[in-house]
Amino acid sequence: MIALVDCNSFYASCEQVFRPDLWGKPVVVLSNNDGCVIAANKEAKALTDIPMFEPVFKIKKLLIENQVNFFSSNYTLYGEMSQRVMNTLKLFSPQVEIYSIDESFIDLANMRFVNLNAHGHQIKNTVLQHTGLPVGVGIAPTKVLAKLANSMSKKITGYNHVCVLDTTDKCIKALKKAELKNVWGIGKQHRKRLNNQGIFSAYEFAYEVSLEWVRKNMTVVGERIWRELRGESCLSLAMLPKAKKAIGTAKSFGKKLTDLGMIEEACAYYISEVSEVLRNQNSCAQYIQVFLQTNYHSDRDAQYSKSVTVTLSTATNNTYMLTREAKKALQTIYKPGYRYKKVGVNLSGLIPQEYVQTNIFEQEISKDRSQLMRTVDKLNQKYGKSTVCSALVGNRISQWELVKNDRSPRYTTQWKELLTIDSECL
Amino acid sequence: MEFEELYKIKMPDEVHQAGTSKQTGFPSPATHYLESTIDLNSILTTNRDATFFIRISGNGWKAHNILDQDVLIINRAAPVKHGKLALVVTDGSFKIERIPTTSVDDLEFTVWGVITYIIHAVL
Repeated sequence: MIALVDCNSFYASCEQVFRPDLWGKPVVVLSNNDGCVIAANKEAKALTDIPMFEPVFKIKKLLIENQVNFFSSNYTLYGEMSQRVMNTLKLFSPQVEIYSIDESFIDLANMRFVNLNAHGHQIKNTVLQHTGLPVGVGIAPTKVLAKLANSMSKKITGYNHVCVLDTTDKCIKALKKAELKNVWGIGKQHRKRLNNQGIFSAYEFAYEVSLEWVRKNMTVVGERIWRELRGESCLSLAMLPKAKKAIGTAKSFGKKLTDLGMIEEACAYYISEVSEVLRNQNSCAQYIQVFLQTNYHSDRDAQYSKSVTVTLSTATNNTYMLTREAKKALQTIYKPGYRYKKVGVNLSGLIPQEYVQTNIFEQEISKDRSQLMRTVDKLNQKYGKSTVCSALVGNRISQWELVKNDRSPRYTTQWKELLTIDSECL
Repeated sequence: MEFEELYKIKMPDEVHQAGTSKQTGFPSPATHYLESTIDLNSILTTNRDATFFIRISGNGWKAHNILDQDVLIINRAAPVKHGKLALVVTDGSFKIERIPTTSVDDLEFTVWGVITYIIHAVL
């Protein structure tokens, strides 16, 4: 049996743990640069048709009128709380696959003799008690069915956020109720094609479509889903996170920038962020992309955006080499006279560090250089982000970095930002 | 930065253990008695994933020995038992209460977590 545990309105719930005054109230979380709503709790979803992914400036009035509480995203907090949930899940099984920031599959293969429903409730109650975060649990013989069970656990009130599909009978009943669009892994295109064949429910897909048809029209990926829906486990738990194929970052500036020097500093700062991620997963990048853009929401500003991708002579994860390349690339696309909104960098063509080929004109990658990067990383881990950085990053971060006005404190990672309770306010 | 300050930056002490430094003369007579240095993290927080630190401002909870700027160590995994001091929620705000003798289900508040230690700075 496999359990899928996922957190209910994860980002909003993280905020609410530390804000009992907001329990039961509508809460939404805005994207990285406060651009749009990326998460809403059930109270916010129920209240009004708050459009997700809509620019905030268009709906701020609507949020205020409906007394919706909004937060800038606080990924430091969400990441740390996620870790707590995942660690707590390891109390229930040594095999936990972290699927996303708020979802995990747990292998319950050795739990044959326990009451699965009681076990599901225990998982739910333990995570809630330890972390304050509410979760839903779906338990079924396969991943695809567990995902379905999980979505049912939320929709059907009687289940109280735990749904177990442990017999063929229960699975079939669930499949008959489930629409195709609620099946994990069936995309819009395939759904349309199946609808044209008169297939609308998950049951019809799993039991009325032949394996041949699925193989022919939906490849091996579709076949796996088909089999999984019939209770045959094909997707195993992936225990190790996959190394990323590309790493990038792009954030809006706090104010529009015109000066190349300042943009270079922001760019260098992003390079140091992404190259650290690269070193943590022991890979090197073969290509670096740099892009620059003005604010396309503005009718008054002249618009310009440009991107350039450079092939590195030798794949690297060295901050200083990448910064040098990024600076050169930036100079080729920068045009004076525009008010820029953001600069972004993207490292791609990632390969394992040990497979890096040096070209014949270059000496072997110097040991000193990677030792330097290791030392820089260690210092920054111990003393805080950007304690040591390239001089090109400069010291004007506060002049371009976007200040997130409505970000909650980093309650669990910063001693100076601990939740503070006023004992005299009664 | 004062030049002297540079000496204060040391390698992390996590790996520090008596006897790990190389000794060239006689073998240490302590060799068979080595133990790790006390780690407050492991003593004061028995369940990291359920432990939260929360600061208190003001002297409103002096009666509970909690003073202005003290930091509470709260273990949400600790069982809620009679007599324990707990951070609780009533009407959407935090309070500190001692758990009464009544059954846990009859409490007039929601327990947020049990307070296990109070950190009080005297600096």
